[in-house]
Amino acid sequence: MTARSLTDKCCQKLIEERDMLGMMVEAFTKTSTGTNLHLVPTKAFVEHHNEILKRYISGEPHITSYFCCAPEIYTAMDLPWNTFLTPAFTGAIMPGYHEMIDASGKMFRGMDLCTIIRLAAYIVEEDLVPPPTAVVAMIHPCDGINVVHQTMAKNEKWSKIPVFGADPPYWADERSYNYYADELKKMVAFLEKHTGIKMNTNRLREVIKESNKQIALWQEYNDLRRAVPCPHGGGMGLEVFGEAMTVHCGMPIGTKWLKDVIADAEALVKQKKGAVPKERIRLLWFDVLSLGLTMGLFPWLEQEWGAVIVMEMFGYSPYTQIDTSSEDSMFRGMAVRALHEVPMIRQARGVADLFLTDIERIVIDHKVDCVIYPGYMGHKDGSANVGLMREKCRELGVPFLYIGMDLFDDRYTTLDELKDKISKFFVAMGLGNK
Amino acid sequence: MKRIALKGGKELETKVKSKALDTFKEAAETIVNPELKKWMDRGGKVTGYFCCYAPEEIITAAGMVPMRVRATGSTSTELADAYLSSINCSFCRHAFNMGLKGEYDFLEAVVWLNNCDHIRRIYDNWRRKVGTPLAHMMSLPKLTGDKQVAWWREELVIFKEALEKHLGVTITDDKLRKAIKTHNETRRLLRQLYDLRKKANPPITGAETLATVIASTAMPREQYNKMLAELLNELKGAEGIKGYKFRLMLVTSIMDDPKLIKIIEDLGGLVVTDSACFGSRPFWVDVDEKVKDPLDALARYAIQQKPACPRMFLGFPQRSEYIQNMIKEFKVDGIIALRMVFCDLWAGELFMMEKDLQKAKIPVLHMDREYLMAGTSGQVRTRVQAFMESIGGK
Repeated sequence: MTARSLTDKCCQKLIEERDMLGMMVEAFTKTSTGTNLHLVPTKAFVEHHNEILKRYISGEPHITSYFCCAPEIYTAMDLPWNTFLTPAFTGAIMPGYHEMIDASGKMFRGMDLCTIIRLAAYIVEEDLVPPPTAVVAMIHPCDGINVVHQTMAKNEKWSKIPVFGADPPYWADERSYNYYADELKKMVAFLEKHTGIKMNTNRLREVIKESNKQIALWQEYNDLRRAVPCPHGGGMGLEVFGEAMTVHCGMPIGTKWLKDVIADAEALVKQKKGAVPKERIRLLWFDVLSLGLTMGLFPWLEQEWGAVIVMEMFGYSPYTQIDTSSEDSMFRGMAVRALHEVPMIRQARGVADLFLTDIERIVIDHKVDCVIYPGYMGHKDGSANVGLMREKCRELGVPFLYIGMDLFDDRYTTLDELKDKISKFFVAMGLGNK
Repeated sequence: MKRIALKGGKELETKVKSKALDTFKEAAETIVNPELKKWMDRGGKVTGYFCCYAPEEIITAAGMVPMRVRATGSTSTELADAYLSSINCSFCRHAFNMGLKGEYDFLEAVVWLNNCDHIRRIYDNWRRKVGTPLAHMMSLPKLTGDKQVAWWREELVIFKEALEKHLGVTITDDKLRKAIKTHNETRRLLRQLYDLRKKANPPITGAETLATVIASTAMPREQYNKMLAELLNELKGAEGIKGYKFRLMLVTSIMDDPKLIKIIEDLGGLVVTDSACFGSRPFWVDVDEKVKDPLDALARYAIQQKPACPRMFLGFPQRSEYIQNMIKEFKVDGIIALRMVFCDLWAGELFMMEKDLQKAKIPVLHMDREYLMAGTSGQVRTRVQAFMESIGGK
């Protein structure tokens, strides 16, 4: 192995991001009077970045992977994982973000490829991410994610890194779950071979049991968000997802934090206190969230309109408990979770029906006043469901707004344009007069 | 490589007067061509499909004509726009619009695969909004191992049983073997047609070849094979096309518009081969007739043997090799790579392909396109002209 150092080009972006998150941790620590719920997840990301950098330098194994590739396995193997999709999600707080988006567009000779994917491919091409020991690729739910792992494998530096992709069936039935469970077993064999770390079934069982607790708490939290007024704002759903399915998946520290979130929400519900002083509109934002949105659009919605995002695509997935009685039952359970339960994969991977049933479930359960489908430019499959979603909302008697925007590039549809569109929609639908 | 100075445009076309070729051209310009109409008038049924991975042989074995869905003749998307969005591929929007307008009401069944994000969603909309009696979706693996062959075989069985139940027929192994033979005959004849294009003076243009390939996906297959054999006989001794400036290759996904190729050829760039869905990829390799179980043969063909689509994970080295071989075999001077706007799969594919072509010093023109060429032919002409000047000026 050639000598590696923190001054390597591939570390700089991660260091920049870590330092930015570190400043947020500092701010939360200084300004908080009680429990600051943002502190643990933000601190976790700082620690995560440090661990990846440390492992890159030392040559210890670490992988590139995703929340939907059974992260319980990574926790059980004590294998830190990094995703090169992060730059789009954290871009709003990073300097030089727009320049990077533009450069990625030039690289692909156009801007219509999903911005997350373009940026991910770009940072690999430009050596802006530490190369891992191995890659567990995600090859669903969209074409873009398939593309980025293929371009990554074509990159000279990354082409030497072993890649595994679990083949995703299109269906959600026993045949598909068994097929995918077998794929996950192959994934473990791949990881054992390339990282030298052996999977311990008992350890996996413990992790899954902890993860099951987290899932149950997450469900409890989702139930609390049904309260009128909703105790927390829109960004919290994403943080809960992040704790349960990414950095602290299957770890007691994540479980503890989820309990804190519930305690906070419960107290607010008892006091009939909401995320805003006067909740006037209960919104379902049916797509991904980004830091840009949670810092820009969502606070405006709350302040200007009393509009609270009571649920979004990542916040309320009907998870089931994984049966830990045998190795087979655990792999089957992780296959169900990875194929049919984790947000976004669940809806976008297979037939469109889950878009519609999820909207229906959330609208009813969370007493939603209107549904916004932002129409992210990267989500081509979702945008082909827009008519069906509109019809579903009409059937449910809730107004539906389709915007057409780039969740990760605020120049595509600017914040002012978004505010204008959403305001006109609220006025036209008679919303916000409560 | 001998370079010819660029001159003004000259229309390139075959010297052969062929009834078969005229029939193929008509089939490429219409949805229901006269041969298909005759078939339906006799009570014959037709199954539509959206991707060349669809198992045409099973449709043929069920006694139906497999027809690849196109949007030829569509001029607008006003009905589809209520369901899809402006970031969806224009082919899908036009094809679905035609479905909504009833222009595909003659189809008894339609089969989809999860081949791309746009087309797989047409299934979701079509089955709810267009009254095709049978709408069937198949789950095509993204990897190419033996496990995926087994999975695809199961999907083939499910599809076969769906057709059997719907039509009240039995699709026996013998019927499947006969259908494989018929479809392999098409493949063999089309490869012979491409062989003729390897000549210094090919007897047929790229636009005419595209029409011929399109017709293979829209006509009763045995009838088509007879006519294609006739055309081959006519072309074999025919005078070749002279006066072109460059030999070009087309690399693309769905491109079913011979007029676009004609624009290129009228500028002197003879399209001699391709890697395209309406092109060589569906017929470059035969389904193995020696395999005892015809469904095994069809499954292995789709997953492991046929030239793959960019959606097949980590298959780029093979896809690139396919293109490189074509370049050598057909003595290609340059490549025109076409991508449908909003196609993520092909954005990645062309990005990777350009890296390899750059290494091999093969000039490439990357053009994004909408399904309808209306209003853009001038732009195409200008870009192709500039590209050919750049090749000539090397």
